[in-house]
Amino acid sequence: MRAVVLLSLFIHARSEWQSVIGLEIHAQIQSRSKLFSRAGTSYGASTNSQVSHFDAALPGTLPVLNRRCVEAGVLTALALGCDINMVSKFDRKHYFYADLPAGYQITQQRQPLAVNGQVTYVYQCSRTSRVERRSARLIQLQLEQDSGKSLHDSEQRLSLIDLNRAGVGLMEIVTAPDFCGGDDAASFVRDLRDVLVSIGTCDGKMAEGSLRVDANISVNRPGEEFGVRTEVKNLNSVKSMRAAINYEIERQIQILDTGGTVVNETRSFDLDTGETVAMRDKEKVLDYRFMPEPNLPPLVLYSQRESVPLSLPSSQRPNVVVLEEVQGQMKELPEDRRKRLETRYGVSLINSVILVRAELDELFETLVTSHGCDPGSASHVVRNNYNAFLDERKLTWRDSPIETSVLAEIVRLYHEGKVSGSAVSVLLSEKTLDGQLSVSEVIERHNLWMLRDTSVIEAAVTDVFSRNPKMIKAYKKGKVNQLDVLAAKVMKKLEGKADSRLVLTMVSERLKD
Amino acid sequence: MQHLSQKCLGVCWTFARLRAVRQLSSKVPPKPTWEKVDFDALPKVPEVDLALVEQLERISLVEFNNETGLEWLRSSVKSANRLHVVDTEGVEPLDNVLEDRELWLCEDQVTEGNCTEQVLLNALKTEEQYFVAPPGNVPLKKRDKQHLKLGLQEDEDSS
Amino acid sequence: MGSLTIKQAIHQMRKGLLSVEELCKKCQDILKKTRVLNMYVNETDPEQLSKNLQASSQAYAQEAAKCLEGIPVSFKDAFCTSDMPTTCGSKMLLNYTPPYDATMVTRTQENGAIVIGKTNMDEFAMGSGSLDGCHGPVMNPWNFAVLPAADRHVQGANNVSEDTLSVEPGDWFISGGSSGGSAAAVASGSCLASFGSDTGGSTRLPASFCGVVGLKPTYGLLSRHGLIPLVNSMDAPGIITKTVEDCSIVLNAVAGHDVMDSTTVVESYKPFEIQEDIDLSKLHIGIPKEYHGPGLSGEVLRLWQDTADNLEKAGARVTQVSMPHTQLCITCYHVLCCCEVASNMARYDGIEFGLREGSEESTEELYAASRHQGFNDVVRSRILAGNFFLLKRNYEKFFLKAQRVRRLISNDFKNVFRSGVDVLLTPISLTDAPRYRWFANQDNHTRCEEQDVLSTPANMAGVPAISIPLSLSSQGLPLSLQLIGPHFSESSLLTVAGWLEREAQFPYLNLDALGLNEEALRR
Repeated sequence: MRAVVLLSLFIHARSEWQSVIGLEIHAQIQSRSKLFSRAGTSYGASTNSQVSHFDAALPGTLPVLNRRCVEAGVLTALALGCDINMVSKFDRKHYFYADLPAGYQITQQRQPLAVNGQVTYVYQCSRTSRVERRSARLIQLQLEQDSGKSLHDSEQRLSLIDLNRAGVGLMEIVTAPDFCGGDDAASFVRDLRDVLVSIGTCDGKMAEGSLRVDANISVNRPGEEFGVRTEVKNLNSVKSMRAAINYEIERQIQILDTGGTVVNETRSFDLDTGETVAMRDKEKVLDYRFMPEPNLPPLVLYSQRESVPLSLPSSQRPNVVVLEEVQGQMKELPEDRRKRLETRYGVSLINSVILVRAELDELFETLVTSHGCDPGSASHVVRNNYNAFLDERKLTWRDSPIETSVLAEIVRLYHEGKVSGSAVSVLLSEKTLDGQLSVSEVIERHNLWMLRDTSVIEAAVTDVFSRNPKMIKAYKKGKVNQLDVLAAKVMKKLEGKADSRLVLTMVSERLKD
Repeated sequence: MQHLSQKCLGVCWTFARLRAVRQLSSKVPPKPTWEKVDFDALPKVPEVDLALVEQLERISLVEFNNETGLEWLRSSVKSANRLHVVDTEGVEPLDNVLEDRELWLCEDQVTEGNCTEQVLLNALKTEEQYFVAPPGNVPLKKRDKQHLKLGLQEDEDSS
Repeated sequence: MGSLTIKQAIHQMRKGLLSVEELCKKCQDILKKTRVLNMYVNETDPEQLSKNLQASSQAYAQEAAKCLEGIPVSFKDAFCTSDMPTTCGSKMLLNYTPPYDATMVTRTQENGAIVIGKTNMDEFAMGSGSLDGCHGPVMNPWNFAVLPAADRHVQGANNVSEDTLSVEPGDWFISGGSSGGSAAAVASGSCLASFGSDTGGSTRLPASFCGVVGLKPTYGLLSRHGLIPLVNSMDAPGIITKTVEDCSIVLNAVAGHDVMDSTTVVESYKPFEIQEDIDLSKLHIGIPKEYHGPGLSGEVLRLWQDTADNLEKAGARVTQVSMPHTQLCITCYHVLCCCEVASNMARYDGIEFGLREGSEESTEELYAASRHQGFNDVVRSRILAGNFFLLKRNYEKFFLKAQRVRRLISNDFKNVFRSGVDVLLTPISLTDAPRYRWFANQDNHTRCEEQDVLSTPANMAGVPAISIPLSLSSQGLPLSLQLIGPHFSESSLLTVAGWLEREAQFPYLNLDALGLNEEALRR
């Protein structure tokens, strides 16, 4: 685990520091009932209405494992390339907290459901457009209970406890410390979420708490051992994850730079202040006193239906989880879908990421294979215009008012240079409103044909240049991004009907003068 | 009168047994068979000091009331140490006597919950369907351990 | 009427010779008269009781009576009952009424039994004397048979309370624990069966002191759903009845898989009947020599010897065997018990249920105060010791070590049964029921360590064990022996127990015969 990280490490720009991050992701299992009780799991149910006697830790109640949760765990482990433990065990982890009614959490520490594993994900830098494939190792995947929720009322000095969430099944996915910054970790989590959503084992709704991340962060000088780490808990959005990790790295570097020592502690992140704050009492590390859960015999999995022994009672045989059968529920994973777009259609990595994440890759393929669209143009239109169109209306492409054949026609027209990129967006909206008209008719009616007359474009360029002398000066002084800004202004003047590439060229030419 | 007859019965019973001629040699050992434990051969018993007392009280949220409590822990640990009389090299720990049985898995159906009243019934403090708890993650106030001082002092002296 | 067995009672009720109401009234009369013994902590509401009696009556009338129809039973106050508080002998749960019934309660009632009340016990089942519960100690009903009449004075008509019996303070015999209330309840005749629990002997030991049959079934045969746990990996609901046959009737009514308890075995349970004519020549009895532990009284030893001899005389093969790790059982039990207690008691914080007392400044302060008030010294000290053993630095040395020793103990049983032994015959208690004065001289822990040595091994291995009263001591108190069999051998175990019972003709306690009836009291 302390071996050199596989990929190039991110050398901190500020000084000679390396940052090392490991993640613990808690993903709520998508199931009707909880891990060890048959109370429901719906989000937003009324307070304490989804709580069974066992969830409230009433004396004498015992855990009964949900088969669906086991299947979800196994399916996830298979999707993440893990080794499945055919026999796994449950343990109790003890600590006192008001949202943990039993005083312990049932988890799998000694012998979890799955170990090892490897995930290929796409790193995306938030500041530049850099994208690249990276790989991260997983340590283990285990099943465990979620805790209840407490609402803190600081005025009245009390906490209100809702146990609806207590006992919901979680998959805890523990990664190796393979990440080097906020972007890296955030990219991984986004991809992981996509995997879980695609196989249906977690709905990935971080805002609803379905996916939470704890980050273990430390810094060290290159070549030296890993430094003391802190744990930042309960990061419930990609944004806060990125910000928290980056802040924490900075904080630790500052401490070490001024000769201090980093304390091994648990911290939480405040999105408003953008800072991490120490959570627990800074005394000795809590001893969780792990102990085997005596009320749950070992969980046994079988590789094939035939390997289920006849000695197993007949009433139990239908209940067992068989790996082969779970594997049959596997869907095509996002990474495989991305690879296919890239290899078969030459789609760029960033576009394949967007298309797959937006669940538009199937549509793209249909356009190319069934409607003969050019892959480049199809990916451009779908990724840029159609994605936003659907997003605004909160639709998926299957229930869109635009038929695929109509979209194909639009893509073709775009490809032939007959409509500009911006015009396509307008075209999509107007076609929706004027459903009866054909695509050409809509273009006619709203004057969306591509502007071909270069003299009109030249005039627009002249006009924009005359109004923005400062920008031209700035460009000539080296501020290269002014080119894009000027081009955008020209496009705006032309109501988006010109070919953006042509406009860019013409503006660029004019700036050379 | 009835009491006397009952006691008589008991005496007669015992008498009859004593008089019985044993024709078979009994397989029951006539003398106790337990072996003495050599405490000196056992590993050293961990010490019970103030730091340990405070740690245990913190994780148990239960206090050592008095020296008797402290003494009991010591004798408990000493007693537990007897386990080391036997060599358990290569012996697997036993979690559950049903270890050769497998866990029963249940169907994923919602058949419990929806019983808010029942769940809140025995809670002394509730507010609009919530359980009420004081603020958490506040460590226990440091308490004076004078009542245990003597017991702990002895331990330090002997070490 | 005497003291009926379940079998006799069912027979009489079927024939219309006895009504359901009469039987229940009889039991309740005894209960009232023996209140001084402190066997019960709660009784079923009269209205509810009356409804249940009516239902059973009807069942007989319609010839639709189930196997326990109309039989008064009681439950140790560790079993959850939704119509009565369930205190587990602790202040922590003094006002706790569970919203559900334990499976043992449900199944018993489904078979027509009439639950008349909850019985007294040691707090959270920790103890071997039933002296350390918050409701006070339980006295052995055999006090009435053994103590001189002068020491038992009847409260006269001057007294406002109903006619009851009393016993001289300090000089009484204990009932054993922790299911003392249950054992005393059956011995006194206030009910015909009672459910206790057995973790380290808590059913068998009081059964032995009270002269009744106490069965600890195979771990996993009876559901623990609704039984407030002491040690989850060893607890078993215990059945206490007057006779072995009664025991089998109750067992048949409640045994088998329960979905709510993942440690119950899934195989279908096959009810059985005790066979009377058995061929002893096919039986191999083992006498484990290590069960002659320190403190075994001469009387118990002789009973053990005589019984072994009688079996041999009757044709059984009797051999001495060795179970070398027996001596370590009590130590192993102690460590594992404390660890589980520390864990199981972590839920008592006063938020969802239970005692809530003290500062509301922080959860830590509140929890600590509630737990201080709610738990007695015994419970608290086991929690502290358990957490000590579970600390990371001690886990391997104590907890894992105890688990390894447990495997050795379990292997002792496996080996001895594999060698051809069908059942083991051993003592269960060191002596007859001790006097309170003597017993209370030492603390709870010391007594447990001393008294539970012969009972804990069966819990370690999860094997079934039964305590059967066979004779009386020189003091006139019951003496019992224990039979232990392999997993799920209840049928053969009870068959052998039945044979011993028939041979012994044990003189059961009959409070009627001692004149505890209205006429005698008025004299």
